[in-house]
Amino acid sequence: MKRASLLLTLPTVALLVGCEKEITVELPDVPTQFVVEGVVQPGLPPYVILTRTQSYFDPIDQNALSNSYVRGALVTVDNGSGPVALDQLCSSSLTPEQRALFAEITGVDPALLGSADICIYSTANTALYGEVGRTYRLNIEVEGEVLTSVTTIPNPVSLDSVWFQLALQRPDDDSLGYAWGTLTDPDTMGNCYRWMARRISTDEDGNAEDPTFISPLGNTFQDRFVNGLTFDFSFIRGRQFYSDQPEDSNEEAGFFKVGDTIAVKFLSINFAEHEFYTSYDENISTQGDLFGTPVNADSNIDGGLGIWAGWGVYADTIICQ
Amino acid sequence: MRPLLALFTLLLFSLSSAAQSTFSVSGYVKDAANGETLIGAVVYDKETKQGATTNTFGYYALTLQPGPHTLVMTYIGYANEERTIELTASMTVTFEARTNTIVAKEFEVVGERNEQNTEGTQMGTVDIDVQKLGTLPALLGEVDILKTIQYLPGVKSNGEGNSGFYVRGGGPDQNLILLDNATVYNASHLFGFFSVFNADAVKNIELIKGGMPANYGGRTSSVLDITMKDGNDKGFHGQGGIGLISSRLTLEGPIINDKSSFIVSARRTYIDVLAKPFLNPEGAFAGSGYYFYDLNAKANYRLSDKDRFFLSGYFGRDVFELKGSEPGSPDFRIPWGNATVSGRWNHVFGPKLFLNTTAIFSDYKFSFKGGQDDFVFGLSSGIKDYGLKLDFNQYPSARHTLKYGLNYTYHIYTPSTVDVASGDTDFDIDTPSKLRAHEAAAYFLDEFDVTDLFRVNAGMRVSYFAHVGSFNEYLLDSSGNTVGQREYKPGELVKAYYGFEPRLSMRYKTGPASSIKASFNRNLQYVHLASFSSIGLPTDVWIPSGKNVKPQIVYQYAVGYFRDLWDRKYEASVEVYYKDMFNQIEYREGAQPQDGGNTNYDALLVFGKGWSYGAEFFLKRRLGKFTGWAGYTWSKTMRKFPDVSEGREFPSRWDRRHDISLVVGYELNDRWSFGSTFVYSTGQATTLPVQRYFIEGRVVSQFSDRNSFRMAAYHRLDLAATLKNKPTKEVKDKTTGEVTTVERKYRSSWTFSVYNAYNRANPYFYYFTTEGTTANNDLRPVAKQVSLFSILPSVTWNFHF
Repeated sequence: MKRASLLLTLPTVALLVGCEKEITVELPDVPTQFVVEGVVQPGLPPYVILTRTQSYFDPIDQNALSNSYVRGALVTVDNGSGPVALDQLCSSSLTPEQRALFAEITGVDPALLGSADICIYSTANTALYGEVGRTYRLNIEVEGEVLTSVTTIPNPVSLDSVWFQLALQRPDDDSLGYAWGTLTDPDTMGNCYRWMARRISTDEDGNAEDPTFISPLGNTFQDRFVNGLTFDFSFIRGRQFYSDQPEDSNEEAGFFKVGDTIAVKFLSINFAEHEFYTSYDENISTQGDLFGTPVNADSNIDGGLGIWAGWGVYADTIICQ
Repeated sequence: MRPLLALFTLLLFSLSSAAQSTFSVSGYVKDAANGETLIGAVVYDKETKQGATTNTFGYYALTLQPGPHTLVMTYIGYANEERTIELTASMTVTFEARTNTIVAKEFEVVGERNEQNTEGTQMGTVDIDVQKLGTLPALLGEVDILKTIQYLPGVKSNGEGNSGFYVRGGGPDQNLILLDNATVYNASHLFGFFSVFNADAVKNIELIKGGMPANYGGRTSSVLDITMKDGNDKGFHGQGGIGLISSRLTLEGPIINDKSSFIVSARRTYIDVLAKPFLNPEGAFAGSGYYFYDLNAKANYRLSDKDRFFLSGYFGRDVFELKGSEPGSPDFRIPWGNATVSGRWNHVFGPKLFLNTTAIFSDYKFSFKGGQDDFVFGLSSGIKDYGLKLDFNQYPSARHTLKYGLNYTYHIYTPSTVDVASGDTDFDIDTPSKLRAHEAAAYFLDEFDVTDLFRVNAGMRVSYFAHVGSFNEYLLDSSGNTVGQREYKPGELVKAYYGFEPRLSMRYKTGPASSIKASFNRNLQYVHLASFSSIGLPTDVWIPSGKNVKPQIVYQYAVGYFRDLWDRKYEASVEVYYKDMFNQIEYREGAQPQDGGNTNYDALLVFGKGWSYGAEFFLKRRLGKFTGWAGYTWSKTMRKFPDVSEGREFPSRWDRRHDISLVVGYELNDRWSFGSTFVYSTGQATTLPVQRYFIEGRVVSQFSDRNSFRMAAYHRLDLAATLKNKPTKEVKDKTTGEVTTVERKYRSSWTFSVYNAYNRANPYFYYFTTEGTTANNDLRPVAKQVSLFSILPSVTWNFHF
């Protein structure tokens, strides 16, 4: 009987497991493209991070990352009063305080700004700082190519409340949970939202636990199914890209914890940005997924890839207790 | 159209000129052992060589001059039977065929009937003898009809995990799969590893991959017409098998001797039961499970020689459950399955006119219920059909066989119902419109001998499809936002289509054992299958034609040369085809199932065209201890969609440049037989990331044009050996001590098979991941290939009594 059951188990195991091996894939030569990551938000200077695509199998080391940043482009933003050129700011020429501010606004990892010379485009011209309802035209001239886009900053929609709630994965667990919010969606169709959060409580070294804001899976949604409703929603913590933090690989992975202080940014965005961020999210989350279909991030940049986004920002803080 | 009109005129003329002073001989051909009617048996007059072939119900009719005749019945695997008659009036002759013990020993897996290769007008048609499938190697010993037809040239599979098949560049939705005349919408179990057809309950399978005659319609690529057994009307019998992952049992017998019989066949897998003890009750996937089962049942009643009733049904379900215990990991439950019921009435009006009336119910359902913490997501889709078919076969003269009829089906589609809730809040998703449609068709065809050498099968089908209310149409603005709704009342016409479907196939005999055949057909298909993934999952959704979704239109042209060699021991053929496919659909790039709520059912689709051409070579040895065949196909299948890859043409998912299959059987003696199959095909076309970039510090993949990359080729060798118990046993008479040899009542056999004998790691899918860490600064992307089955031996025990 024992042998019989062993015999019967073999195919079952084969069915469930299968096998895998590493293969070499000869990729076709594809010309590199320019990639824009640009944001304009109320009360803050617009910024543009200009990079270029790399071959898929190139190593992802710091060299590759810093080499992908493009210098010497002519980047202008027009808020209706004529185009204004943005300045090229390189991290090597900034003071540590400026670098911190730079990281705060752009979400670029401060560690990377310290270790590599990274250049982005922004301005100290307060006339160009973001205003709700205003339209911003982007024009980039680089290496003989022209990239353009346009966006508007939508009216921010406030959350009624935000709070922390235990997940109770185990009945006796009294520390791990999710961040929750209550949204009353305005009664007009077409509102799009994006959630991002960051633990700003400090670790032993006195640094914020999360160096930048994190957008967990499913961070972007629209009101097609929830138009005019008031409802609660929750998000997991998410994780930094290739995080080696212990709490991203132990039982705390994905959870906020009692004692955390969370800064929340709840963005109101346009439909084009919604299309980009959902496809971007899909692109990232289906990497290595059998059932996922190949999804390119749906850019709003003419002549390139990436996004030129207007963010209507509602900010709040959660103290986890 | 003009040549067709000419053809019909010719046909009518030849009908009216048929001689009056003839009589007809008609009747059924049955298996003497179990009373099953035989499909495709040939009855001919020995002198004039005029003959007829039995239809799906085993009925034939011949028109002959008065006087003495010798009729001969031939059917492969059975002894020829002769009957001498004196024809003075129309009469009925029923043949009871006996298995020919000599021929039956020969290994005959898939056989076109005797001379059909060169005699019939049909191109690309293959009949499959189900009884012989058991001697071929099968995955885990599960005899599989759909897998077997994929060894034929022009029919392709997608490898493991995909029992959808692709005929001459057409999609899996373009195959008309009929089980006792009822449409089966999803023919696979276990995500495509096994087909829903339990071979024990099946009598006959006919595959038509080109030159579809006018009596079939509604699909554009092929017909797979499966006939269930009627049930033995002579005595009670059973058969079954115990395999590694499933068991089967079939019982059949008379209800009233020689008048009425039944058959019931059931099958269930026990992977879930087997796997349960090995899943840690507190482990990651405790409570997960998978199983499928199916049930076939059929009964028939012969009221008289003129009337016969059949009631048959199929019911099958797959259930897949996954329960994750990791934080934030999802739970889901996915049941899906088909149910079909068909009731049929055969009526013989006179020897020359046969009517089959079928009432059909078919139901296909798929649902998905999943959740993650407080978030619950449901998705369901399905089709329900109610249909009625009237099919006439008429045999007006020796040179003509007419078929004409009417079909009507009422469809109810549930394209994709989304249901979302988070905590106590039910999201505001309208109950989506079920889609209702009338589909109707009328057809007429005549297969006739223009001369002794030239035979034509000409037909016309007229089809009609109407999407009707109740229906809620969302009115959208240019960016896809809903600006209003329009409501259609029950029965109100939303959109109607109709079309002519001319069908023509011809055979010209170039010699006693060779012929040239040609065919043309135009087919319309009013339903489309839209797939989110590249591997054919039950999440695929059937979408009917409507306001924006036009019917698929396919034109196919084919020419072939057919020849029997060496006393018809071998048959060979070469066929070339060209096919144009219009109004094909795909999901738009990046569409996800959950995007389908609160908008029109066709909002996620894009439309384009496709074309396919190829050459198929086939050589088969049908007699002798060694039998089998070799097939080779060269083909190319492309698609072009304005909204995919910026309008550039791209290879279809089922494009395979080269496709080879070899099937060999060897019958050592009356106990041991061996079988082997080998397949090779060009790798599947797929879409891979070619570049990457960074946004918000994350790696974003940039994909190539659709399907611009080829996976590694697929090839595999399978082996099987079957050992039967001795057909006879010796019985010693207790009183006399005399030893006599008698046939055993209980027969059993062991089938040992090895799947993927040389352990080829065939690609199932490729994925991309990273290795190394940022801390060590050695992070790099890598490509991985996942294969499903390594070498896999199995054993199955089968019995019958």
